[in-house]
Amino acid sequence: MRKRLHSLLLVLITLVAPAMADTDKGKPVLIYSATDLPAIRPVLEAFRTANPDLALEYREFNTMELHERIESLDDEGYPDLVISSAMDLQVRLVNDGFARPFDDPVLDELPAWANWRNEAFGFTYEPVVFVYNKAAFAGRPLPTTHEDLATALRSDGDFFQHRVGSYDVRSSGVGYLVATQDEVTSSLSGRLKESLGRAFTRVYCCTSQLLDAIADGDLVLGYNLLGSYALARAQRDPRLGVIVPEDYALVVSRVAFITKKAPNPRGAERFLRYLLSYQGQQVIADNGELIALHPRATGPYSITALTREQLPNFHPIVLGPALMVYLDQSKRRRFISEWQNALLYDPVAP
Amino acid sequence: MSTTEAGYSLRRRLLFRTALLLVAVLLLLSIGAWRYARQAADYSYDRLLNSASLSIMEGLLVRNGRVDLDLPYAALEMMQLAPDDKVFYQVRNPQGEWITGYDDLPQPETFEPSEQPFFYDARYRGEPLRFVIQSKRLTEPAVSGWVQVTLGQTLNARRELMVDILYKALLALLGLMLLALAALWFGINRALDPLSLISRTLKQRSAGDTEPLAKTPIQEVSPLVDAINSYHRRLLDNLEAMKTFIADASHQIRTAQSATQAQLDIASQTNDPATLPQRLDNIRQQHLQLTRLTNQLLAHAMVVHRSDTQPLELIDIDALLKQLLTECVLDHAHRDIDFAYHCDLPNCRLPADRVSLREAVRNLLDNAVRYGPDDNQIDLQLVAAANGGVDIIVDDRGPGIPAHLRRQALQRFSRLATDGAGSGLGLTIVQSVAEAHGGDLFLETSPLGGLRARIALPGGST
Repeated sequence: MRKRLHSLLLVLITLVAPAMADTDKGKPVLIYSATDLPAIRPVLEAFRTANPDLALEYREFNTMELHERIESLDDEGYPDLVISSAMDLQVRLVNDGFARPFDDPVLDELPAWANWRNEAFGFTYEPVVFVYNKAAFAGRPLPTTHEDLATALRSDGDFFQHRVGSYDVRSSGVGYLVATQDEVTSSLSGRLKESLGRAFTRVYCCTSQLLDAIADGDLVLGYNLLGSYALARAQRDPRLGVIVPEDYALVVSRVAFITKKAPNPRGAERFLRYLLSYQGQQVIADNGELIALHPRATGPYSITALTREQLPNFHPIVLGPALMVYLDQSKRRRFISEWQNALLYDPVAP
Repeated sequence: MSTTEAGYSLRRRLLFRTALLLVAVLLLLSIGAWRYARQAADYSYDRLLNSASLSIMEGLLVRNGRVDLDLPYAALEMMQLAPDDKVFYQVRNPQGEWITGYDDLPQPETFEPSEQPFFYDARYRGEPLRFVIQSKRLTEPAVSGWVQVTLGQTLNARRELMVDILYKALLALLGLMLLALAALWFGINRALDPLSLISRTLKQRSAGDTEPLAKTPIQEVSPLVDAINSYHRRLLDNLEAMKTFIADASHQIRTAQSATQAQLDIASQTNDPATLPQRLDNIRQQHLQLTRLTNQLLAHAMVVHRSDTQPLELIDIDALLKQLLTECVLDHAHRDIDFAYHCDLPNCRLPADRVSLREAVRNLLDNAVRYGPDDNQIDLQLVAAANGGVDIIVDDRGPGIPAHLRRQALQRFSRLATDGAGSGLGLTIVQSVAEAHGGDLFLETSPLGGLRARIALPGGST
């Protein structure tokens, strides 16, 4: 499984019309993305249906690989669009001049925090959540805040020992993002990190592996998981429960930008316009795995749905140069070493 | 007043010129506003850059003899105050080696590290940027020297702020200018109001209205009102003089006419043929008197009219006098009068009106003949006066005029002679002519025993 996600995946969307032989017009839009194909497939297909003349070519990477790939490109071989939930890495790419501006009326409805320089655009609204195994927590109080969790980890060490999971910030871009944003947002993060270390927290590269482990009962709780995947999985899998922390819940937004050297910028703009439009967002809201950002989108996977049951304290991560702080070489070294010291208490961690 | 220029509106011209001036001022101020806006924007964002670089400096630490940076989150968060600008930074250790951040930032050409921040502009990755270098001297035993934090930012926020300030300043300036124009329009109308008021008042007046215009409290307009009033006054005075003259003249003519009429009536009723020649002679004398009066009246009117309208031209006075005297001698050749001419200034040329002057001297000569004895001596002289002018003198050996009556003699229709032969206008005409030439008439005692009449003319070019 890990191997699959680490390897470069080439997925040619099967909907490409074979008759589309016209070289220029039929030139596909090349998308490099760190998003599971099943999660984004509905919106890709909806776009293809609405725009049969424009083919999409989709390649999947994990967040770190994607970033390195873009940085290592010469003048040739640029994708048209880059999508990743590692907002900090995306900001860094935009800052370094890899993006091309896109000004369009469709941006008017986007929240300001999800648009940087009209170059980088967030198009999903994915809260960072706790995921738990319902069977394991039967008869136990659920930790609904970060403080609750820290206290529970300390007071109920036996229950949690080796059975808490989170991202490996060394290999997961989005894991690193949420871990660092935790540190920025909450004064509690140090204590929580320490508690997680005491519980011998196990670290994983990817959300799907974490969800598998929790569903199977290998883990009782996952900390800081991307809510989009978790909620979709919990819909299908009754063994999983999702907690949106009440004190604060970071919100990660998947960020897309059109590359400066895009071979097909017009096509990329058409797709991006669709992705950010009400129609495209509604497709996301209806189909799950991702959560729509558009304020008017309704459906099970929209902001409207998230705020229906409770009014959590959502903290969207703001697109902007501050995200680059933890990408600083020494800062990153220092953070990872502290994280390792705190979390990987067990020298033989997986 | 120039008549070659086409008519124009003072109001429009004033307004147009001031508006032009205002536009020039607006342009100047706009340039000022532009410079100010740029400075203000630079100042604001340089401060932001400076603060953020200082904040980065806070994250510097020395560990194991090496300089390292724990980049404070606040530093770049601060930079997000310019939300759409890219940020680049770099930290160098005292040896000038790169520690963290971007390793290929453009460096200033000349730079000496000091406690003061150093700002410079440069291009990086295809965009213009503003950079600051913040230096700090480390004096720890392991590391000593200047560490440098370089922080750069794209210019979007600066430009936005500049445009914003400029836009607002220009808007305010434009509003101010429109306001000034409106005030100007109002002011000019107000300023020109008295003019239209005066013209309206003048238009509504009848010709015989003797009331002066009402005084105005406006200092700039009161000279105009005064001038109009004084002009009006003079017109009225002239009119008054004219009325008096006409009344006097009518009286004189009527008196002469009724005298003639009376003589005619007596002549026609008398039955004695012996007295008829005597009566006829009386009537002839009366008629002569009337003719003379009429001529003098016309001459007077002519002289006054010419003095108002005829420009003076250079004429040879000497020749004129000689000619006049010749005529006079010929007219009175049958009498035993001794005429003499004396001239100090031969070919003397003066600006004068030939017809008027001729009439004046002619009158003096006639008077001398008329009122003098039969063996009269009449001297005509053209001499230089003590004041630089020229005197035309007529001397006679007649009875003269006593000094106390000389003033009266110059008045219209006053006759000193008791025989009633004079018209009473002769000396008046001479005086008018003398005055029209800028001179005067003086009546004095002649060395010959009679009257000396002296026309004093101001000196001109000879």
